[in-house]
Formats: sequence, C-alpha cells, structure tokens
Amino acid sequence: MKREMSVRLKTVLYGLLCVLCVPFVFPTWWMVTSSLKPIQEIFAFPPRLLPETWDFSAYRQVFELQPFAEQYVNSLYIALIVTVGTMAVAAMAGYAFARIRFPGQNALFLVVLLGLLIPSEVTIVPLFQMVHTLGLTNTHWPLIVVPILGAPSVLATFIMRQFFIALPGELEEAARVDGLGRFGTFYRVALPLARPALGAVAIFTFLHSWNLYLEPIVYLSSPEMFTLPQALTQFVDAYGGPMWNVQLAAATMTALPILVVFVLAQRQFVEGLAHTGLKG
Amino acid sequence: MKPFGKLAALALATLLTATACGGANEAAPAKQGPQPLRMTIWTSNEAHLKLFNEIAAEYRKTHPNVGEITFDPIPFENYTTTLTTQIAGGNPPDLAWILESSAPDFVSSGALLPLDDTLRKAQGYEFDDLTPSATKLWQAEGKLYAYPFSTSPFGVFVNTDLLKKAGQKTPDEMIKDGRWTWEEVAAQNAAVAAKTGKAGMVVRDFDYKNWDNLASVWSGWGARAWSEDGRTCGFDSPEMVEAMTFLHKSIFTDKAFPGPGTTPDFFAGDSAMTITQISRASLLTDATFGWDLVPLPAGPKGEYSVIGQAGLGVFAKSPNAAVAADFLAFFTDPANSAKLAAYFPPPRASQLTTETLAKSNPLLKPDQLEKVVIDGIRKGVVKPNHTGQAELSQTVRAALDPLWQPGADAKAVLAGVCAKIQPMLGA
Amino acid sequence: MAQTHLKLTVADRADAPPATGGARSDGGGRPFWTVRRRDNLVGYLFVAPQLIGSALFVLLPLGLVGWYSLHEWNVLAGTFEFVGGENYDKLLADANLREVLAGTALFSVGLVVFNLSLALVLAVLLNQRLRGTAFFRTLFFSPVVVSLVAWTIVWQFLLQADGGINGLLGVAGIDGPNWLRGEGTAMLSVIIVQVLKNVGLNMVLFLAALQGVPAQLYEAAELDGAGAWTRFRRITVPLISPTILLTSIITVVGSLQVFAQIAVLTQGGPGMSTTVLIYYLYQQAFQFHHFGYGATLSALLFVIVALLTVVQWRMRRKWVFHEA
Repeated sequence: MKREMSVRLKTVLYGLLCVLCVPFVFPTWWMVTSSLKPIQEIFAFPPRLLPETWDFSAYRQVFELQPFAEQYVNSLYIALIVTVGTMAVAAMAGYAFARIRFPGQNALFLVVLLGLLIPSEVTIVPLFQMVHTLGLTNTHWPLIVVPILGAPSVLATFIMRQFFIALPGELEEAARVDGLGRFGTFYRVALPLARPALGAVAIFTFLHSWNLYLEPIVYLSSPEMFTLPQALTQFVDAYGGPMWNVQLAAATMTALPILVVFVLAQRQFVEGLAHTGLKG
Repeated sequence: MKPFGKLAALALATLLTATACGGANEAAPAKQGPQPLRMTIWTSNEAHLKLFNEIAAEYRKTHPNVGEITFDPIPFENYTTTLTTQIAGGNPPDLAWILESSAPDFVSSGALLPLDDTLRKAQGYEFDDLTPSATKLWQAEGKLYAYPFSTSPFGVFVNTDLLKKAGQKTPDEMIKDGRWTWEEVAAQNAAVAAKTGKAGMVVRDFDYKNWDNLASVWSGWGARAWSEDGRTCGFDSPEMVEAMTFLHKSIFTDKAFPGPGTTPDFFAGDSAMTITQISRASLLTDATFGWDLVPLPAGPKGEYSVIGQAGLGVFAKSPNAAVAADFLAFFTDPANSAKLAAYFPPPRASQLTTETLAKSNPLLKPDQLEKVVIDGIRKGVVKPNHTGQAELSQTVRAALDPLWQPGADAKAVLAGVCAKIQPMLGA
Repeated sequence: MAQTHLKLTVADRADAPPATGGARSDGGGRPFWTVRRRDNLVGYLFVAPQLIGSALFVLLPLGLVGWYSLHEWNVLAGTFEFVGGENYDKLLADANLREVLAGTALFSVGLVVFNLSLALVLAVLLNQRLRGTAFFRTLFFSPVVVSLVAWTIVWQFLLQADGGINGLLGVAGIDGPNWLRGEGTAMLSVIIVQVLKNVGLNMVLFLAALQGVPAQLYEAAELDGAGAWTRFRRITVPLISPTILLTSIITVVGSLQVFAQIAVLTQGGPGMSTTVLIYYLYQQAFQFHHFGYGATLSALLFVIVALLTVVQWRMRRKWVFHEA
C-alpha cells in the first residue's frame, strides 16, 4: 500500500504464486503434450514433459473416428446463435425492467427471476418430454431455443438490468430532446454504453453453451448431430476402452482456440466479468 | 433499432418454427418412393461395415422398393442408453443390434416385431437350422423377437512369448498335463507379472465396472448372478463367495490380475493372457508376439464355458417394419449367415463346423475352433441378463465396488449385493 | 399455472397493439399514443421474449415436473400411466437416496469451502503490489475458459492409477493412491477438479471487491497497531462480505448442477460415493428409464435449491456488514 515490500516478502509471494499456478497450468500442458505422444509412451514412467517421439497420428484419427469437423461446427454455430440471441433478449428485457415503467413490471420481474432459482437440470425430464412431443429430439432446436429464452438467459437479463439501473438518467433525457423514441434511445444511446455488460453476458453465455453436456447427451443421438463435449467422450474403442491420445487430441482442439482468444483478450474477459452487475 | 427488432422477430420466429416443425415431423411417415432403412450397430470396424454394405447392396438389386440402407454405429459403452433414447425420442431405427444383457427388456416390452412368420416363409431360409440354445434368450411365449446373429464364446488368448520369458509352460502343455485350471493359471500369471513387469490375466472389458464379464470366471465355481428364473440373488451363494475370494486374492495378494485403474492391453502385448470373446481375434492380425487361443481354465466344478450373444431385431413401431423384417430374413439367410460367420459365430447348426468356421477365421487353427468355439457354444451358459438390466447392473456395480480394495471382506460385500438387488429381482 | 396465465395474457396484449399502431398521429388534441402508452407498449414488447421463454421453458416444465412425478412412462412399450403418489412413496423408501443426499451435501460443502478459501487466497495474493500479477491472474483464470469436458478428460487421464499425478508423486518417491477408485479420494478428486476449473471466477469477483476497500481504513488500523491478520479479519472480510455471500450462493447452487464432471470422472462410483442428486436423477430418468421417478427427484432438487437460496438471503441480514 505504502511502503516498499521487503525482498524476502516478495520472494515468498512470488514463490507462492508459482507453486499455486502449477495445478492450473499443468493439466493444459499435459493435455497438449500427451496428445502428441505415441500410445505406448502415454503412461510411461517416469513421466516426461515432452514427447520422446512426436506423433501427430492421433489428430488424424480424431477425424476418422468421428465426424469431428461437423461436431465442431455444431458446437460453434449453436454457441454463437445462443450468444447473440441471449444478448438481444437480455438487453431488451433488462432495459425495460430497469428504465421503462409499465404496469405489472415488478411482478413480471419476479416471475422472470424465478428462473434463477430453477437450474435447467431440474426441468430436464419435462423439457425432454416436451421436445420429444414436438418431434425435435436429435435436432439442435432445444439446444438453441431453450437457453436463449429459458432459465440460462435469466442471469443475463439480471446483469443487464443491474447495469441499466446505474445509467444516469440525463443521457436518456438528452436523447429524448433530440427526438429519439424509446427504441432509438435504447439502441442508439443505452446499448452502446452497455458494451462492457454485453461483453460479460456474451462471454458467460458462450462458455455456458460451449460447455453444455447434460442437454446434448439427453437430446442428441446421432454422431453427426453431436456437440463437442459429447463427442469428446465418444473416443473409445469399439468396446468402451478409452483411446487416450485421440481423446486428448480432440480435447486439445476443443480447448486451445478458446484459450488463445482468452489470452489475447484477457483484460476484457476478466475485467468485464468483474465489473458488471455481479460485483455484489 | 432495426437489428434488434429483427433479432426479436428471429427469436419468436424460431419458437414458432420449432412448434411448426414438430407438427411436420410427426406427419412424415407416409412417404412415397423407396423406403430407406436404418440399423444401429455397435461396431465401427471397417471390415464389418464393408460386409454389411455388400449384403445391403445385393438386397437392393432385387428390391427396388428399398432405399438406402444405413448402418449406424453407436459406441458400445452407452449403446443401449443411446438406443433407448432414440426410441423414446420417437426416432427409433428400423433394425437394431441388441445386447444379451438387455434382451429380456426388449423381448418382453413388445417393442420388437415377432419374426417367426417372416423367417419361416422366406425361401430357402431353413428356419429349423437355428439351434434352440441360441434362440432361447430371444423368445417369449413361443415367438422369436430377435435373430441371434452372434453367439460368441469366451476364450483365453495367451501371449506365449511372455509365458516363455517367465519360464512358464505353454497352455498346450498345461492342457495335456491336465493342469489348465484356475489355480495353476493364476499362478502362471502371477509369475509373469512378477518376472516380466507386464500384467498377468486381464478380464477384458471388465475394468472393475462391467461385472457381468466376470461370469467367465465365476461360472467355473458353478456360481450364478441369479437363479434361472431370475427371482433369487446368487451373489451370496457359497460358490460365488468362493469364486470371488479366489479372484480377490489373485488380484490383491498374488497380483495375477492387474488391479483397478490400470489399463494393460493384451493385444498390444502388455499382458500374458486375456479372457474375451473370439471375435477379438481380428485384433491379432498384426500381432508381433506368439499367441494361442484356448478354452477357459477349469474351475473347482470342472470345465465350463460362457457365451455372449447379440440379437438383431426389427422395431414394431417402425413405419417400414415389414420391409425391415424382409431385409433381416435376407441378411441372415444361409448364404449371408455363412459370410457373417467370419466375424460372428452363427446360430445355424449346419454352419457350426470347423470347415465353415475355418474358411472365415483364417487366424484360428481348426483345433482352436473346435475346442473354443464349437464346444463353447454347445456347453455355454449365457452371460447374466434380466429385465431392468440397466438399473440392476448399476446397482450390482455400486455394491461390488467395496470388493475391489485390498483387505475387503468378500462374504460381507456379496451379502450386501444381494441385500440391494433381491428387492428388484423379487418384484 | 396461474402465473403462466398471467404471462400469456401479457404477451397477448403486447402482440395486439401494433396492428393499430400504424394509425398513431400526433396531430389531434388527445392522441391515443401518449408517451405513457407508448412506453407501456415498448416495455411489454421488450420483456415479451424473456417472459414467453420463462413461461414455456421454466414455469411450464416446473409444473410438468409435478405432473410427471405422478406418472410412470415406459419408453420401450410406449405407455404412460397415472400412478398417483407411488413415486413419492418410492422416494421416501429409497435406501439409496440417503447416501445420495449425504454425498451431495459433502460435495457442496467441500466445494464451497475449498473454492471460496482458495479464491480468497488467490485474490489477496494478486491484490499485492507486485509486478506480473496480471500474468498470474491470467493463468489462474485460464481453466474457466477451457471446455469443461476437455478439462475433465485431462484430469481423468491424470488421475489414473498409472497416470500423470501418480507419476509425479512416484518421482518424488510417493506411492500415490488410486484416486478415482477409492471411496474418499474419488470425492476429493471430483471436488478439486471442479474447484480448479472455476475458482478463477470467484477469484476475479473477490479481487474486484478487494480493490473497492478504501486504503485509508488499512492505514488507520495500522496506526492503531493492528497486525496483518487482524486487518484482514476486521476490515477486509466485513467489507467484502456481500461478495462472499454472492459467490457462496452461486457456488452452492452451481454445485448442485455438477453433472459432466461426475459422468466423466467416476460415473457416481466407487459404490455410490460420488452419486450426487443430479447424477442420480439422470441415472433414474435416462439410464433406467424411470422418468416418473426422475421427475420426482427433480421436484426434490427444486425444493433443495429453493430452500438454500432462501436461507442464504436470510443470512445476509445477519452477517453481511453492509450492502454495496
């Protein structure tokens, strides 16, 4: 805070940080390197931090054993649609609940908030049966529509509302004087200001959709419809034994791109999440 | 303003289309033109698929009313769950492979089409050639609900190089000396593990979870998971306690079997022996070590054999059920059955000969076929199966887990298994 | 159900006006479309998607949970029968359920304790005036963005009896346990894997809260002779207590939703030791096809989540120092 820290204290703190980060970093390292090891090296003792012989064949097998490219596209497009859709739904609802007065507003907000109380897992059985009745199992509809409109988007609406509540009213007054209607005020004035909150919502939503596991395994049943998390668990030989190096190669391809994006944009990621609504 | 209006509209439209699509899908069955067929299987082996596709192509030549026939591989591990999800989701395949463990569930549910009429009527089918022991599991009230396309005995694959390295006798010699018994075999495996650092005996696919594979061991003690009528738990029987005590000692004291959480692969040369079904012989095409295939070792109750089965059924609810059944008759007629015998031991008495089997199993010697396959099928008991298999299997798995610790009390654990499952069996 | 009706009428009203909306004019003495009316319309339109969604995908299924829990659905035979309270009788008599609930409680408590304390330690460390904290923050946060199943698979691989963790331990001369197969270690493994995955989120929230604590308070306390620990306990903890409460709610409710990790790492084993409620629900409904009983377990899960949330909000009054 004020005085310079002693060198000893600094060393201790750095030492602590370095030790603590091992379990966070080592798994990713191990995933990438093991995916490049030939199968007989994978459980070798003592463990080696780098492959003795570099073997890229697992990466080829990933695409041979599963329609992995299709599955990648599935995950990506579902997550993108869900993210954009949630941003739209949550921004509108959050704005209306925060800045517009209309009869029944509070009661309706409470109804929406109920979604925070009900994890989507609670309703998985009836949702499955609804989807089944509509003949939409083994399609991507339930993975897109339910998250955008159902329980998962409630948190986003909540974040957006908290943000818009804190917005100074004068800005909107000015917009009105300039002759903008409600839509105009929302779209031209409020929304651009909400970029940090929208960013946080986008990150949350994307990761949520990207990680979804229970829903896809319940709804989807054919490999070309699978999403990545589900596909990752399918790299087993015909009788259920795991094919570690192939599985790890697929995991690497799933994890690394997002990780790279994160490292490049980590400031927006971390600070966006910290400074919006959830601050407490 | 526009983009958001559009997005809102999109969201709503999405919802409406979702509903509309549902309606459209349900109205779909009455299609015109050639009917496509879909069959779920759990192999993704290229050779298998090639053969299936050849048979399908041949069938379509004479049946223009049939469209594309797709073989849809689902991983073995969650095969039945996935299949049932497809059925529950209103998206059942027309035909499906069915595991012996879930046979009672499928046969008794009414989900499958009875096949007798179609098969008996099919020209040159020789329905009576199917052996009763093979079809027994797939029948209910005198009707056949699935065709047992594979009746595969468990045998022991042996890495003779590893045995020699550890100074052990080959299985041939052991059998000649009348010493091919569990006691002796366990000792051999313990010796291999101790001297070579490789693993001893691997019960393939058991992995300390899929306990039904242990039937290939405990049957040697005359033990059974449950009684013939499926109403009484057999895990607490003295035979089972003795068998499991032997197994526990062999795993944790003698190290003849690799312990839980390790993954040695016999076919990669990591273990001395493995118990598995003979269809795995194909994994030895490029084997770099000497190997042999022999029957299961004799237990205290003498020689025995265990078989796994797989059936092929047609879903009664499929809009193409009749066509699917006709295709099944073609797929399994004597000529095609002989072709399938290359990978799946057939249920036809006339084809269970060393000559037929030898033609299609070039890796196996006539002697091996005779002793392991033909004798095995003749004497074999089928792996445990019961209605409500998924729950039963999971419950047994959980109740057996405490056994896979050093120092476990086999008798108490097994009594615990029965305490858990007897209510399910009695119901 | 009443709520569903309410919302559907709201939605109807919101949909109807645009037809006449074209006739709006500002010319007359008392235009129909006053600012207030227009605002009402826009308000309803804006919340409509979220409300319709809540009605269709939250409230309706919640009602259906209750309805289905009174039925039994046989997938293979395709029958759906009313069975009354049978599933609830089964719930009360279910011998496994006690084990499942105990496991769930252990998991949630373990997760919250590990997660919050580690998050706080990391946040305090990163809040020191050191160079390179941004770098470490990135590292600690990185698992949050790694695909959940990928992360879990890597840990499954690491935790095998002959896997990486025991390999490292072996180099250090320690004979590691069979992590995923031992009763105690399996639960511990699942908790640690989950904590490492998500602790970055709580860490960042704590960090933001710590940065909001005014430095003068610390300085004043130091002048009064308060040591580092006293300052932490007397100043830091009370001032960030709203964040502690918020993160604990998120973490507890989140812990009840942990499914993929269990499905991949232990499948609920060994024994029933890691079969938490959500996994048990999945098994009953989607593996054993007791959909009615699955719905009954859903109802139980809902009651637990609701109770927990209420309790935690009540606690807020007692121990949260002040609301931000």
